[in-house]
Amino acid sequence: MPQCAWIRYIDATELQLIIVPTITRSALILFLLAAAASSSAQESPFFVTYNHHMEEPGNLDIEVSSTSDVARSGQQTYFAPYMELEYGVTAQWTTEFYLEGQSTWGDSTVFTGWRLENRFKPLKREHWINPVLYLEYENLNEASRIQKEVEGEAPDVSSPNALLTPELDHELESKLILSSDYHDWNIAENFIVAKNFSQSEGVEFGYSFGASRPLATLASGADCRFCRENFMVGAEMYGGLGSTLDFGVHNTAHYIAPVLAWAISDDSTLRFSPGFGLTHESNPVLFRFGYTYEVQNFGSKVARLFGRKQ
Amino acid sequence: MRRIGRSGFGLAMLGFCLVTAASLAQNPGYQQDPTWHAPADAASRPNPLASKPETAAGGRKLFLRNCAECHGKPGTGIEAKHSADLQLPVVQQQTDGVLFWKITNGNATRGMPSFSKLPELQRWQIVLYIRTLKP
Repeated sequence: MPQCAWIRYIDATELQLIIVPTITRSALILFLLAAAASSSAQESPFFVTYNHHMEEPGNLDIEVSSTSDVARSGQQTYFAPYMELEYGVTAQWTTEFYLEGQSTWGDSTVFTGWRLENRFKPLKREHWINPVLYLEYENLNEASRIQKEVEGEAPDVSSPNALLTPELDHELESKLILSSDYHDWNIAENFIVAKNFSQSEGVEFGYSFGASRPLATLASGADCRFCRENFMVGAEMYGGLGSTLDFGVHNTAHYIAPVLAWAISDDSTLRFSPGFGLTHESNPVLFRFGYTYEVQNFGSKVARLFGRKQ
Repeated sequence: MRRIGRSGFGLAMLGFCLVTAASLAQNPGYQQDPTWHAPADAASRPNPLASKPETAAGGRKLFLRNCAECHGKPGTGIEAKHSADLQLPVVQQQTDGVLFWKITNGNATRGMPSFSKLPELQRWQIVLYIRTLKP
């Protein structure tokens, strides 16, 4: 019997016994990597919801994240890692590039595509509500599982990768991001409109909301890793709203997810979020982990590399 | 053929954005921005931590994390970054409220980002620390 075949017959409890140690080991490795980092990471704790805080100009964030699930009966558990490069072009423009993959237990590991997104903050000053315009091009296949956003109807998590990977998605996605800072809370609302040019799905809709705040608002003078000000907590809620062909919450996935971010050093942030499915079409639980390392003055360093005098 | 066309479009879009991004990722030469003024109500706000000078230590830590990258550890500015020398009288003569407003809003046209992501008290801590910067 091939090694992968028996995995199809073990139950969810046994699968968790396999996954939990793996996630624990991954978290430990990330922790050690972060602890070894040299040094201002005050990253948003959200995985799905965007707020109006842009990447600082010239800085590059390198982020490695993953989404994994607890599967329903008859479905396979997956692990979907992705890498994100986020660059602050100007104080009002941040651009990001993603590479993503996916591994399904008892199936296969596949590359699921890339994304390029841009966020523009049209207003120069802070306001009660700060709008940001978001535009993303996705070159993915149907095996994509990172669920960086949830829109339209719930994704197909039952079919094998061999059937899903040939189905390409060329999608243009836009978001209206509204975000407010109120008494140390950040409250953000995202409204999603997406059009997949490869499938006849109509125009799809989605949403996400989030609220977060740091555990302490006054910074201590001590150089500490476990100070309360280094932790941010919050929650986000996200889901699909169907499409122009079938608008509404019918057959859509929705999640509510507590979020936690820990600035383990000046340049590094760890994030964790368990997302709980609210509908039958949702995964029962999504586990998200993320590690971000910020390279300060990346733009200047590259410019110097190419001989530009500063 | 159709797929190649779409992939080509995607790659062209990626290339365009990267080239445009690289060309714009430059800080223009620093000079005082005469249009960067805090509103009167913001300028008159007192520092709520003024009676707690010990919190400037936390301000120093925040300054080193968030500001030193452009203004240098002593706050004298970095020529290559065209950033302001925070020890200059032209900066130190500004009210706490003005400095707080400038940290909060940034000056996008001059490459100074907004630091509204920091809690209010932490921004006031930075103002408190800036007051300790002396030539």
